[in-house]
Amino acid sequence: MLFLPEEAKDLPPPSLFNMNSVWLAFSSGLASMYSNAINHKPPLKSGVHRLVLMTTIGWYVGYHVTKIENYHFAKVDRDMKEYIKLHPDDFVAKDKKTFAEIVERFIPIR
Amino acid sequence: MSFTRLLSRAALVSKVGSRSIFQSSKVDISKPNWIRVGLAFGSTAFLWGLLFKQNSADLHEYRVRNGLE
Repeated sequence: MLFLPEEAKDLPPPSLFNMNSVWLAFSSGLASMYSNAINHKPPLKSGVHRLVLMTTIGWYVGYHVTKIENYHFAKVDRDMKEYIKLHPDDFVAKDKKTFAEIVERFIPIR
Repeated sequence: MSFTRLLSRAALVSKVGSRSIFQSSKVDISKPNWIRVGLAFGSTAFLWGLLFKQNSADLHEYRVRNGLE
């Protein structure tokens, strides 16, 4: 069901309540209400079984989309860290000066 | 689907002897199709069960792979 490789199972799974699920479930529910309205039926009171089914499908797809998204960003972060480790010369830390050292003494001229 | 509905209404208005091929009778909304309702609710429950099982399996797999269990 997943379009993910085996190493994706090393990542923690997303919580069941995640934003992709919420949004897709909400828009699927809205789509079923719209289809009721287009067919001249009361939007919320008719076809509750359709509303519930579409919402569930949205939630389910959203969960898997979140998993794919987590894997993608974890891979990008890992590649970035590897690159930084392999090229330390490009990522030298600058000496930090505090503001007290840079700023001149304040002499009010009134 | 609403396009077929529009077409079927046109057939009622025209009053010719033939019936529309899309619908032989008007949809009666006072008699729900219980098989379809049961299938919809059944597949809803099935999908929720699948989701919970998948989540717990993923959690278990994550813990085993990272040595937390």
